[in-house]
Amino acid sequence: MTVHEYPARRRRGWWLRNPRYLAFQLREAGGVVCALYGLILLNMLIQLRDGESAYAAFLNLLRTPPVLYLNVVLFVLVLWHALTWFMLIGKAQPIQFTRQPLPWKVVFGINVLLWIGVSGAVVYLIFGGM
Amino acid sequence: MPDSEVVFRVSRYRPESGGRPTFQEYRIPYRSDMVVLDGLNYIKDHLDPTLTFRWSCRMGICGSCGADVNGRPRLTCGTYIRDMRKGAVTVEPLSNFPILKDLVVDFDDFLDKLASVRPYIVRKDWGDLSKEYIQYPEDVDAYRQQSLCINCMLCYAACPVFGASPEFVGPAASALALRYIRDTRDEGGAERLARLNTKTGIWECTFVGECSVVCPKEVDPAAAIQTLKFLATTRHMRRLLMPGSASR
Amino acid sequence: MHADVAAPDEVLLEPVFWSLFSVGGFITAFLLPVTLFLLFFAAPFRLWPGDPAAYATFLAHWKEPLVRLFFFVLIGGSLFHGTHRLKFMLMDAGFKGPAAEALLDLILNGVAIFGSLGALYYALRGWLF
Repeated sequence: MTVHEYPARRRRGWWLRNPRYLAFQLREAGGVVCALYGLILLNMLIQLRDGESAYAAFLNLLRTPPVLYLNVVLFVLVLWHALTWFMLIGKAQPIQFTRQPLPWKVVFGINVLLWIGVSGAVVYLIFGGM
Repeated sequence: MPDSEVVFRVSRYRPESGGRPTFQEYRIPYRSDMVVLDGLNYIKDHLDPTLTFRWSCRMGICGSCGADVNGRPRLTCGTYIRDMRKGAVTVEPLSNFPILKDLVVDFDDFLDKLASVRPYIVRKDWGDLSKEYIQYPEDVDAYRQQSLCINCMLCYAACPVFGASPEFVGPAASALALRYIRDTRDEGGAERLARLNTKTGIWECTFVGECSVVCPKEVDPAAAIQTLKFLATTRHMRRLLMPGSASR
Repeated sequence: MHADVAAPDEVLLEPVFWSLFSVGGFITAFLLPVTLFLLFFAAPFRLWPGDPAAYATFLAHWKEPLVRLFFFVLIGGSLFHGTHRLKFMLMDAGFKGPAAEALLDLILNGVAIFGSLGALYYALRGWLF
């Protein structure tokens, strides 16, 4: 009589089984979208070099519906990437400034405040203010 | 005196059959202080002696009784039936492991991975064993959290990376590697980091974090693995950029 | 301090790309949202006085070395971060094994490296040469 082990296998749709798995998949997608925007920004610099009409054409492409609405969806994924990144820093705390790790929500809050500050600095230092 | 009854849906698998796991339902008397393990033991004692499952201490320290309860890895001895949503309590073997019989899974692979990180004090030279190795409270604090691991493998059941890539060393083995790396009495840090700096090591982890969510002892293996990535990277860069230098 | 011990199957470049992924994660988390908002959403949704992305406006800022450095860092960080995530997503979806992984490494890290070099080129062009 032979004895069979039932093989291990991961369920299809495993990431739908709880909200944290789904949040993880969206976070990963957000990370990939960052690379996509990296390429888009690079192309923007290329069009900038090519002159006003090329640059304006590219910008208009991105700003016209439906591409604009697609961009809104992608932007939300980028925001989710940013927020989950701040949570991950809290949960991992690879570099600790305190003896014992701080509660992750505290680190998250500190990072969000830093984010607001850095964003303000970018507005004024890179884009010339309001 | 039982208040009412509860339905248990339990996964059954006969190793002689070679078929697929199926569910069997049992209706058992319910008291509000029952845990899932109590239900399984009632079934085995009164309804169906063929039901097979692991358990031992029934107090959350031996790590034997892990199972997927209502879709989530838990210790059956620590899961109160009253905390489950109304309706049936579904008990399945831990996800991501081969099934031997009913709720019993094959975890030889986990034991191999655990052995591969040498989960004990490693020293080149033990010196005078009649002398005590002094550790101050802060020395113990450095590895206390990871030392709480009871090898229950709920983290492996929760980890989707392990589910797809069974060669991944996994959360518990990694956390225990860190426990010994951080122990001031240990000198085996470099070889553990070398073992983890492989394709089957920590680099497979994508920080899903579910391992730390399900851990009954709050070991936080997810954070341990990210720390190990950092340690492994600094060791790796030192080896690449300054070959031949000593490192811990 | 003790002599290092090596395992026979240690990876070579994974820690390097993970480090770039991590730095890229910080860069994208802190810098990408505000940048995308100002360039692509501020004007179309009338949420800002003026259009920071308008050709003349942007070109004026592009003269500053800090702005050039900013975009080089942002593009490089985004690429190294996102390609690393994509590699793991694809491997998780089934694109596994030594040959598949080597191909992914080559293509995805290639995109990140060439994209970053491209960003560096355009950042320096018109300034240093």
